[in-house]
Amino acid sequence: MNELLLIVSIAGSRVALPAADVESVVEIDTLIPVPRAPDHLAGLSALRSRVLTVIDCQRSLELGSTDLNDGELHEAAVVELDGHHYALTVDAVEDVVEALSEPSPIRAAMGDGWERVSRGMVETEEGPLLLVDIAALVAGPGAEARAA
Amino acid sequence: MDDLIADFVAECREMLEALGGEIVAWEANPDDRARLDSIFRFVHTVKGNCGFFDFPRLEALSHAAEDALADCRSGRRVPDGTLVSAVLAIIDRIGEMIAAIDAGEELPSGDDSGLIDALAPGAEGTAAPAAAAAAVDGGAKASTSGPRTIRLSVELLDRVMSGVSDMVLARNELARRLREASGDVEVDGAFERLSGIIAEMRDAITRTRMQRIENLFVALPRMVRDLSTELGKQVLVDIDGGDVELDREMIEMIRDPLTHIIRNAVDHGIEKPAERLKSGKREIGLLSVSARQSGNQILIEIADDGKGIDGARLVEKALANGVIEREAAQRLTKAEQLALIFEAGLSTAKEVTAISGRGVGMDVVRSNVERIGGVVEVDSAPGKGTRMTLRVPLTLTIIPALTVSIGRQHFAIPRSAIEEIVRANGGSVTLERIGGAGVATIRGRRVPEVALADVLGLPSEVKDEERTLVVLRPAGGDVYALAVDRIHDHEELVVKPAAPAVMATGLYAGTTLADDGSPILLFDPAGLAQVGGVRLETLERGGRAVEAPLAVNSNEVPVLLFRGLDGNRRALRLGVVDRIEEVVANEAIRHSAGQLRVQLGEAILPLAGVEDSAELEGRVRVFRLNDGSHEIGYAFREVIDLMTLANEIIPSDAPGSVSGVTLIDGEPAELVDAHWLFAEYLGASVRPAVQLVCRLPEGDAWMQNMLRPIVEAAGYLVIGEKDELSADITIVSEGREVATEEGGRVLRLASDPDTADGHDKIYRYDRAGLLIALKSASAGRL
Repeated sequence: MNELLLIVSIAGSRVALPAADVESVVEIDTLIPVPRAPDHLAGLSALRSRVLTVIDCQRSLELGSTDLNDGELHEAAVVELDGHHYALTVDAVEDVVEALSEPSPIRAAMGDGWERVSRGMVETEEGPLLLVDIAALVAGPGAEARAA
Repeated sequence: MDDLIADFVAECREMLEALGGEIVAWEANPDDRARLDSIFRFVHTVKGNCGFFDFPRLEALSHAAEDALADCRSGRRVPDGTLVSAVLAIIDRIGEMIAAIDAGEELPSGDDSGLIDALAPGAEGTAAPAAAAAAVDGGAKASTSGPRTIRLSVELLDRVMSGVSDMVLARNELARRLREASGDVEVDGAFERLSGIIAEMRDAITRTRMQRIENLFVALPRMVRDLSTELGKQVLVDIDGGDVELDREMIEMIRDPLTHIIRNAVDHGIEKPAERLKSGKREIGLLSVSARQSGNQILIEIADDGKGIDGARLVEKALANGVIEREAAQRLTKAEQLALIFEAGLSTAKEVTAISGRGVGMDVVRSNVERIGGVVEVDSAPGKGTRMTLRVPLTLTIIPALTVSIGRQHFAIPRSAIEEIVRANGGSVTLERIGGAGVATIRGRRVPEVALADVLGLPSEVKDEERTLVVLRPAGGDVYALAVDRIHDHEELVVKPAAPAVMATGLYAGTTLADDGSPILLFDPAGLAQVGGVRLETLERGGRAVEAPLAVNSNEVPVLLFRGLDGNRRALRLGVVDRIEEVVANEAIRHSAGQLRVQLGEAILPLAGVEDSAELEGRVRVFRLNDGSHEIGYAFREVIDLMTLANEIIPSDAPGSVSGVTLIDGEPAELVDAHWLFAEYLGASVRPAVQLVCRLPEGDAWMQNMLRPIVEAAGYLVIGEKDELSADITIVSEGREVATEEGGRVLRLASDPDTADGHDKIYRYDRAGLLIALKSASAGRL
């Protein structure tokens, strides 16, 4: 299998998202906050008459936060999950590469946030990359606590 | 009727197409339970519909196949090759007949007994091919009647709709650019035209998806009437909430489940008149069907006052059929016991009837409802009745909403939950803090108050007393006041469900896009109250259920007591009031085409209740009155209370908007004559060309009080026994003699349901029967 991967950088790290799950990459300008929603849910944005739920990936990983209301455009990857569209904020979108291996477990210790969203390590032409589980990224840090 | 047949044909065709693969698979493996179930459902559906449409041959065929398949399902018989081909032959025959019905041909007469006999255990081969060829030829002739329609996939409509939404956004963008740049009149003119066209298109495309649930409800009274006649029962149907709007696809998806539930209720729920009397109930069973919106769901409730569901019997049955283990059965709660009714192959009916009772139906109901993301719930008290609740999501439902804001952020509140809007610093409002909790006193009524800014944890610079209070009544709950910074606009919003994390806050019913393309969150009023810490004392479900049937047949007429624009106390029969709306007088009320008219949503209705147009100032509240086919508005100042008419009515001297005065709550009130209003305000255009006349005995209090309004509502002029006019229909009590008039019809009312024959002798509370008789008499004349 030669799965295509989208390389993005989140919180300064280069990671891979399954490219098939990413519908498009957009720039988010205005953001409508959702009061009382979990922290990592940055707000709502509109994309061509669809409502996007914007996920602040840095907060989801508990690695800081993205200031989305600083008047600048922020890049985000749009994914669909259970019929809802989400925009995942990233520092930058870099490239699309082919996966050269199946994801394999990473045995070294990762940060808490990364551990939670990890689907393993994949080999690419650009070296090994962490493959991120989109659903876990969307669910955010509170998900395990709520499920327990 | 033609529409219904067309629906039936379309449905059967779809099922037949889908079944094509199943049949082959079943033939290959007759033990496959899932295939068996789906084939069984098909013949069951056909059978159910045939009984309704009077296609005896189809019914006999499907009934026979259903019998054989039911035996297989219950394990009494093992499906073998012979049975499979016999069933297949029947399904083919059904397909041929449906093609014939579709082409508008008479069903050919023919003999199906060969096919039916082939189903019997041990039958040799099939007699199918020969008989089939003789019975139906071709059936492929194109039907020519009926309006031209095409069936479209909803997906395509969705695409068109999202295209139109994009177009609106692009237009808004262009409008902004044009404002900034050009002053070219020609460009502006062209743009205006384009704008108009886009708005119109958006309207039309939205409407293609939305339908009033009424379309689904209209067929119910007839269906219940036919069913109950067939079963020798008396059932009164009470339908409410027909104007709830629902996605067209949703309506189609709940049509079957609703039909199944109602059939079950009439067949197994409601007892025969004699049994009902024995258990101390009125002989007429009450079946109430109501739809309403609650948060992000539409609730459809079907309640009957029949014998209820025996949970223990269900458990026994489930054990016997191996649906559950004995150990698990003992741990079931009452609700779980009742929920067993949705398991495949379960039914507590002792006898299998032509209507229902084979345990198919309820499992189909559940799977159909769950497929659209809905839930079915059952609640039942043995001896008292059963209540089924369908909850279906509001997805893509358009709801009127009020937009409000806190700080700079906008939110929407469903208008259906809004009772009134008052300014916190208004004269009739005081705000107090009691132990930290907010209490607003609005015209003497104390209601809990929450500040939206506090609930949401948003900063707000507006002081408490400068806010606006939106008084909300969540579905089935008590009122509370929500303080918002500012209120903006009424808008019709297309609501979509929000992401799970957003819904999990409990505050929101969904998201929507405003006209400028920015997302807006729609509140769930009940959720807001909960998060805001307001305790809503929900109305006791049982309490409401008991109340409603009582009002139907007792002599107490529920009325709405209100104060008119001129300040007089008036009362209006509750039955004619559809809902209450609020409009801005100088925007929505105009004098046009000879009378005062009010615009309510998209409808323009004649407006009554205005003596002096100077009284029309600021916001005016309007009753929307409905006689079943037409609507008029009635302006008033405020609602006082819901009361019942108990005292004597002193009739007014001359006919007019007030039919008389009576004492309500110790004070006189004028009784508004809704019939006169409709007659007067709808004008001559809708009056029948020929005045229909009905003769009623003057001395009979029941006839004058109970029957007369029905007869009048059906468009008749009511005269007494001695009046000279010739009557189209004369109604008398059973056993009283009356001279038959030339061309007139005599309808006798029986006080005992068992002596009624449904034609010229009708049980006096058989409302549907009465209406049909009145209709047919008028049809003869016009």
